[in-house]
Amino acid sequence: MTARQEDSIAPGVPVTPPSRPGLGYQARHLGSRYAVLGVWALLVVIYTIAKPGVFMTRSSFESIFNGQYALVFMAMALLCTIIVGEFVDLSVPSVFGFAATILPVLVVNQHWGIWPAAIVAIAGALACGVINGLLVVVAGVNTIVVTLGLGTLLTGVALWMSDLNTVVLPAGRFSRIAIFGVGGLYVSFFYGVLLALAFAYVLAFTPLGRHMRFVGASREVSRLSGVRVNRIRFGSFVAAGALSGIGAVVTVAALGSYNATTSDSYLLPVFASVFLGTAVIQPGRFNPIGTWIGIYFLTTGITGLEELGLQTWVSDVFYGGVLVIAVTIATVLRRRTV
Amino acid sequence: MTHQRLEVADLSKTFGPARVLRGVHLSIAPGELHGLVGQNGCGKSTLVKILTGVYTPDPGGSIAVDGRPLRTPVQPAEQREAGLSVVHQDLGLVDDHTVWENVRLGRYQARGPFRKIDRRAERAAAAQVLGRLGRPIDAGQLVAALSAEDRATVAIARAVQSHRPGGGLIIFDESTRALGQAARNRFFAIVRSLIGAGASVLLISHQLEEIVEVTDRVTVLRDGEVVETGLPTPDVDEAALTRMMLGRHLVTHGRVDSHAKDEVAASIRSLSAGQVRGLDLDVRQGEIVGLTGLMGSGFEDVAEAAGGARRAGSGQLTVGGRSIALGRRRASTEDFVRAGVGYVPERRLAEGLAAEMTVSENLTLPRVRSRGRPLAAGRAWQAEETAAMIAKLDIRPPSPSAPVGTLSGGNQQKVVLGKWLAGRPELLVLREPTQAVDVGARHDIIDAIRAAARGGCGVLIASIDAADLAVLCDRVLVFRDGKVTGELTGDLDRDAIIGATFGVTPSRDEQVPPEREAG
Repeated sequence: MTARQEDSIAPGVPVTPPSRPGLGYQARHLGSRYAVLGVWALLVVIYTIAKPGVFMTRSSFESIFNGQYALVFMAMALLCTIIVGEFVDLSVPSVFGFAATILPVLVVNQHWGIWPAAIVAIAGALACGVINGLLVVVAGVNTIVVTLGLGTLLTGVALWMSDLNTVVLPAGRFSRIAIFGVGGLYVSFFYGVLLALAFAYVLAFTPLGRHMRFVGASREVSRLSGVRVNRIRFGSFVAAGALSGIGAVVTVAALGSYNATTSDSYLLPVFASVFLGTAVIQPGRFNPIGTWIGIYFLTTGITGLEELGLQTWVSDVFYGGVLVIAVTIATVLRRRTV
Repeated sequence: MTHQRLEVADLSKTFGPARVLRGVHLSIAPGELHGLVGQNGCGKSTLVKILTGVYTPDPGGSIAVDGRPLRTPVQPAEQREAGLSVVHQDLGLVDDHTVWENVRLGRYQARGPFRKIDRRAERAAAAQVLGRLGRPIDAGQLVAALSAEDRATVAIARAVQSHRPGGGLIIFDESTRALGQAARNRFFAIVRSLIGAGASVLLISHQLEEIVEVTDRVTVLRDGEVVETGLPTPDVDEAALTRMMLGRHLVTHGRVDSHAKDEVAASIRSLSAGQVRGLDLDVRQGEIVGLTGLMGSGFEDVAEAAGGARRAGSGQLTVGGRSIALGRRRASTEDFVRAGVGYVPERRLAEGLAAEMTVSENLTLPRVRSRGRPLAAGRAWQAEETAAMIAKLDIRPPSPSAPVGTLSGGNQQKVVLGKWLAGRPELLVLREPTQAVDVGARHDIIDAIRAAARGGCGVLIASIDAADLAVLCDRVLVFRDGKVTGELTGDLDRDAIIGATFGVTPSRDEQVPPEREAG
């Protein structure tokens, strides 16, 4: 072999140290993370001043925090598929409603025991997740088409099973799994807290969560890095089904009944909360804690407006308006800070 | 007094905590071909984006064209009025539209009560500009059907159409990358004729050879600052420019001793993929094997199959004692990763990195499951791997938590490479590893690939960059129509590789196939 020359680099010139972030930058950074929390606090202050003795009371506090278990489970279910990049699973509220109808129908009409009925309800929701997964991931059908179709179908089946009626469970100890009091709040509130925290932990600290976020960011990059992309996508649909089912059981336990016609009314709040969550904690990113905060932020706003005497239409205006404004602000702030 | 065509003074730009341009000065005379060089991430693109109104500069700087100051952010109408236009890296052409539609894009004139585009007039206007450039391309053709050279001409036509005669400034932002040598010569003939007519040109290029050859004066940027501006090009050579760009002395890569051992690191048997049929190939430990040929000759298929990126028709890969069926329907890339194969894809942002995720998350992705526990991915090993790769590859900024999308192209490429090197692969498969990176990054990448080979890793490089192959490889397999038509060993020479690729004796005027755009 001929003489060869090994490379060498003469000593480098010192690298300019990165300049320290300016105050303006830090303010924007904080602003983009906590703007929604600030507005939430502002809402509480405004309502308290506007309706002294009504808003800042134990009863409105309890009505805000005790009543959102259904939304929390459904929002986390939607988040499962959104995190892995499957946008808009429109079937979440219908799967939830389907499971919430199975449970009382089996108990009341078919005289099943309540626990076997609850297990079948969860299994039914899980099966819906499997069907979504098979159609979207394996067969490659468009997510919106599959979930819109399956959702509508399930709502129809639920209405048929319940004969368009509210099916009421006989009173019993079953309700305690949802409305058992812990420190002045229902235990179902804490289920939601634990669920959001556990989900956030999985995403932030486990290999599974890392893989989920990479699949959401780029399927091809994930696949070429050895991530089993389709398994993760499929699993997300199944997990979404399971969470909707568990949420349905908790809801039926708390309410003691379910009316299948109400399922569709959850769609906007669920989407609003999940998207509003992108304006909190991790701006521009779907995240469970942000979603959880989004749910209670929206509920606070609506509860306050209703206590000010406004009619129920206000919830549509508020959900829609806040969603667009909050996500716009988060997007703009994020663009400036990146 | 005659004014400069472009006079940029004290221009700065800050993004969040990062100051990417600091007090930049640049002046270009009428009828001048001015070069702008610097490493990836030195601020060239930011400067262009300020000149074209994409970014707003920090307060305090000024931009003037022919003595008339422009307001910042630069408004499109004023920019057009001033005759400031850009031909971007990817030329910005819409392939499935015709030449005239591309040339006139953004300038369509609507006529009549229904505001219809006057096709005949538009077509004539486009043909007129093309005629002025001395290349009468049929304005009704689809751009997709054009040669690389004609595509560049269409992009130039779009840029110069509203220039006043004898005025205007065209910025070519890496626009010559997709051109072969012969096409490049004709391209510069067009540019020269524009300059002869009084236009000015700012040429941004990584090809220092080209800068030295064609420009009148050159400006060097480093870390957002001007190191030299308006330096007459006859006074400098490539080595001097490199030194200014890097702030360090870079010794050109020469070949080093082979580190190939006798043991086989990976063997491919009976591979059929794309055009390739029944290929057998052994890569020894520490051996660097190059795969090259014209685009579509099959060398890319071999790399994609061996790297686990695409399923082959059939074949067997044995790495580290594990055997993988390359044609198996359910073969997963995970099997390749487990066997110790690392694959550096061609399009780094589409296939190699998730832009919104951090440097550390991208670097550790392939091992987050094998090295982490189910309930905790583990921070210590991730921090350690990341720090090791940042140091080894000189990734800048050296910040593990920076989103990869904020890094320059060269640094992104280092992250893709580091992602696999950190796992100490048995077989490393790379496609176009130094595509669209600056000299400094190329140097670091070549060093890292050699270090991996020294450590016993078998390396397969699929590339059309003969210069890379010549300095890196122990042997090069040349593909044509799916078959290996040549094997070059021993002392490799760039021209010999190009010659073998085209099946002719080496000639400098040979047209190199266009490189594909990096992500």
